[in-house]
Amino acid sequence: MTTPTMAVKVLRAPRVRRGNLSFDISLAILAVMTLAAMFAPLIAPYDPDAVDFAAIYSGPTAAHWLGTDALGRDILSRMIFGARPALLGPLLVVVASTVIGILLGLLAGWRGGWIDAVLGRIFDVVFAFPALLIAIMAVALFGKGLVAPVVAMSIAYAPFVARLTRTLVASERSRPYVAAYRVQGFSGSWIALRRVLPNVTPIVGAQSTLNFGYVLAELAALSFLGLGVQAPTADWGAMINEGQAGVVGGYFLPAIVPAIAVVIVVVAVNVIGEELSDRIGGGIPA
Amino acid sequence: MTTLRQVAGKLGGLLLTLFLASLLVFFSRFLVPGDPVSFLLRGRKPSPEAIAQVAAQYGLGLPPWQQYLDWVGGILQGDFGRSLQFRQDVSVVIGERLPVTLGLVVMAGTMIAVVGLIAGAVAALNRGRVLDRAVLVGLTVLGAIPSFVGSIVLIAVFAVQLGWFPSFGSGEGFLDTVYHLVLPSIALAVVFVVLIAKVTRSSMIDQLGREHVEVATSRGLTRGTVIRRHVFRNAIGPILTVSGLLVAGLLVASSIVEAAFGLSGIGSLLVQSVDRLDFPVVQAIVLLIVTAFVVVNAIIDILEPWVDPRSAAGAGAR
Amino acid sequence: MTLLDISGLTLDLPNGTRLLDAISITVAEGETVGLVGESGSGKSLTARSVLGLLPDRAETGGSVHLLGRSVLGASRSELLDLRRTTASMIFQDPRAGINPMRTVGDHLTEAMRLCEQRSAADARAAASSLLAAVRMPRPDEHLRQYPHELSGGMLQRVMIAGALSSSPRLLICDEPTTALDVTTQAEIIAVLAEQRASRGMGMLFITHDLNLAASICDRVYVMNAGRVEEQGDARQVFRDPQAAYTKRLVAATPTIVVADAEIDAIEARADVPGRASTAAPASSLPAGAGVVATPASTEPMLVASGVSKTYLRRGKAPVHAVIDASIEIPRGGALGIVGESGSGKSTLARMIVGLEQADAGDIRIAGRERTGAPTTRVARLAHARSVQMVFQDPYLSLDPRITAGRAIEDALRLHARLTTADARARVVELLEQVGLGDRHAQARPRTLSGGQRQRVAIARALAIEPDLLVMDEATSALDVSVQAQVLGVVERIRRDRGLTVLFISHDLAVVRRLCDETVVMRTGEIVERGRTIELLSAPQQPYTRLLIDSVPRPDWGREAVPQN
Repeated sequence: MTTPTMAVKVLRAPRVRRGNLSFDISLAILAVMTLAAMFAPLIAPYDPDAVDFAAIYSGPTAAHWLGTDALGRDILSRMIFGARPALLGPLLVVVASTVIGILLGLLAGWRGGWIDAVLGRIFDVVFAFPALLIAIMAVALFGKGLVAPVVAMSIAYAPFVARLTRTLVASERSRPYVAAYRVQGFSGSWIALRRVLPNVTPIVGAQSTLNFGYVLAELAALSFLGLGVQAPTADWGAMINEGQAGVVGGYFLPAIVPAIAVVIVVVAVNVIGEELSDRIGGGIPA
Repeated sequence: MTTLRQVAGKLGGLLLTLFLASLLVFFSRFLVPGDPVSFLLRGRKPSPEAIAQVAAQYGLGLPPWQQYLDWVGGILQGDFGRSLQFRQDVSVVIGERLPVTLGLVVMAGTMIAVVGLIAGAVAALNRGRVLDRAVLVGLTVLGAIPSFVGSIVLIAVFAVQLGWFPSFGSGEGFLDTVYHLVLPSIALAVVFVVLIAKVTRSSMIDQLGREHVEVATSRGLTRGTVIRRHVFRNAIGPILTVSGLLVAGLLVASSIVEAAFGLSGIGSLLVQSVDRLDFPVVQAIVLLIVTAFVVVNAIIDILEPWVDPRSAAGAGAR
Repeated sequence: MTLLDISGLTLDLPNGTRLLDAISITVAEGETVGLVGESGSGKSLTARSVLGLLPDRAETGGSVHLLGRSVLGASRSELLDLRRTTASMIFQDPRAGINPMRTVGDHLTEAMRLCEQRSAADARAAASSLLAAVRMPRPDEHLRQYPHELSGGMLQRVMIAGALSSSPRLLICDEPTTALDVTTQAEIIAVLAEQRASRGMGMLFITHDLNLAASICDRVYVMNAGRVEEQGDARQVFRDPQAAYTKRLVAATPTIVVADAEIDAIEARADVPGRASTAAPASSLPAGAGVVATPASTEPMLVASGVSKTYLRRGKAPVHAVIDASIEIPRGGALGIVGESGSGKSTLARMIVGLEQADAGDIRIAGRERTGAPTTRVARLAHARSVQMVFQDPYLSLDPRITAGRAIEDALRLHARLTTADARARVVELLEQVGLGDRHAQARPRTLSGGQRQRVAIARALAIEPDLLVMDEATSALDVSVQAQVLGVVERIRRDRGLTVLFISHDLAVVRRLCDETVVMRTGEIVERGRTIELLSAPQQPYTRLLIDSVPRPDWGREAVPQN
């Protein structure tokens, strides 16, 4: 029944209709960055690794729009090439963790019982290892670079996706519409895969979008710590690491530019993720 | 309220999680293909004595489960093995660096609690108004500032440009240490402040829409009383749960901040040990962080019946 | 002086929607005034306006005066004073209305301590005597309990005690018994009436239940879509409604009052075949799955014999949800199962449709064994064709992502090979049968009203052409006028197709309208069975009598309402 207080609740809940402007801008930013990363060799004005001792710590000039670093390398070109590992790593992690997480979450939430209990315990253990810690351990075991951390973080993030999926699936499973499908004679696996899964996937997907920002920051942090992408390869985190020395000397650009880029991408991704969550959240009755 | 049996059950869960986590930490080494001695002594030119010493320390001749039991047995007696880079006991190496990290975490934790709760509460109580939107925009931007970015910006502005705070080292004596840790703890706190503020906001908004709040209002309680006794009180549960989950992240993120500010805590020690292939230290620190996480969460779990009486009856149990 | 005087109250949303339109209501000292209406009529908003509980964003017009003091536009401190001394409110759902994290004592003493500055001991003593006044068995013990330790009925008493703690002149009750069982409702109403009389309070009683309003109110206001449609003496309004809306509402409201003429009519055709018999059922029939029985036309459509279900809970006493229940429904018959929450009626229904497995007993539908869980696809589909179900909450029993037409089509095509065109045609046909049409086929559940959704659910069940249709509280979530429409649809389909129906409800009046035979369940057991009319007019068991006596009835005898 629409409870008598429904009208009051509606009145009480002011719908903050943020303009979609920020959403559109965020999409545009990500699109531009992705394209730049894909076509880096065509766009970048310089070879990202070309050293030019004549132009060390050059400020923004016509030749170097964003200046140069301690070795005279063009920061803009390094940013463009650096977008490749910066964006690809998180993308892989998000896709892999979402797929693994949804499958495990569906299994746990739909089957329940001991499967749920065992998976829940495993998730609890993995939660005790923050993603960055698992990534650092992976580096300690398999050496520096991005491959081991990306695999490790896919595993680290999967339980988050799985637990959300599990909660959603378990609550869907107890809803009368699922019972109605059963009564109509549909098989359990058909209901789980064809009806429940599509109902929960958008919510999980929106949440995973938010993970992209965290993963990007964490992989960049790994490179910043010198454990991820190794010099001289261009990568935002590694650039901040290298630029750190310049900061103390008063040369901010080499570190600040990639730092700002990280912040912008994370903001953009979060704006998109939250907007998606809002839109989807409104569509499914509680 | 809480029966002894429930506490015992939760402690059992804690031990089980710790046990599984220690398995993971210990046996992760076995994921690396090849000879364990050459893995442990990577990047070094081992003398035959060194090889013998490592093999003896790890009991590499023994079956894996025996090695594990020896390792755990040692840890329970405070013996984490020997550091390869410092040629000292791991426990000594870690013990020297723990205070800096703890100081950092305590200062950051205080900031997170104070700023996060206030920002979240202010936003929730002004839901939909300008102040709420301003806080939300602020949180979205702050939430996108990872600690290494925060560190760089704080160093650039407050240490280099303005010269108000030191950019390096942890200082000596209590006040000097606090002074040195101001910028690092801000850098560390930023992302977590946002998370706490967001959960505070949504948890309070959830409670504000509940009927018991309306009932309390209808009985003539002042708005302040209603918010304190009914809204905030009831919103504590989710906030505490999220706080518990953040503990491990805070400890790991401190490694970034310590590296950026040249602090010698266990975070920077972890990074340094990975860099210098000092696996025993890595293992010990990972285990330490995981243990801290599990213990804090077990405490929160045990406190739960106090936070939400319904869980004492088992109704709220998972 | 008039206790409450609402005049010309309007309420607009910022987007211009008018929720309340020129509402004028008065309540005199000591008077009980009913505010009756269906969901969305604005009755709860009106009630809230009295205590200034409307959100800031709502724009109000007109005036609300409590003992001569204006509420709309009152200062914050004035509003607090009004709430503390003049009026208090009892809300619909005590489970939601009492802070689950605080003890009952805390809830009761809070306002006394913080608003009246009484000492803790003093407040506690007052709270204890209030609990005694609302007939709580162990007041001092209850003070220490948490809300989750009490039943819904007990909690509503706590809520009432809390509202009385400020000795209000006006008590506003917003659907105070809607969430409760009928026998509990009767107890709560008795407590309310007693307190109102002994304290001489005025009472504004909001309800959707016409019979309830008629039985306790002096005067009533009938609201619809934000307006007062009609007002006057309660007896007058319901006996002789003037406004078209009130007429429809009265006509749609089912009643359990049995007119003498009906009993005579029943007795005249007393030997109609197909009683839901109390005789030992089906023992002579061949048992066991797979036995193909050629059912004689006299064989009942549903035979459930000796069905039991027990839920085992770790660390707690097992719950005997259903104990040795036996029912029968003849072909084309309609059996009602009536009971309060926890009576096991829904569990029995779920076992019959196969959502739960019986621990013991035997269920046969159209002569075939349907007790166990089907293991093969063929068995599953056969089970589905033998019985279908319509669920309680139409908001939850339709898949939010699937359009109405698609939902029906899926069910059709699962059970029969159909071309797309044939399936579409059949969908439209089915929708038309339940009074919907082609245009509803494209609609997602979200865009349909509760009644429309429930009709889609019925069409979907009919698509499979089941032998038996189980309706589990299928109209409980609907407003009376919508409920009447849905019941009308079911009645017509029964007439046209000879559908056999098992109708589960807590509402005797609804069962009475639809079912020839009725079974009364209590705590898992069947306590009485018989023809509905006879059961209502001459109950044999004390529990049945209690159930019937608990249903609110105007004490001035109303003619049986003509049914459409």
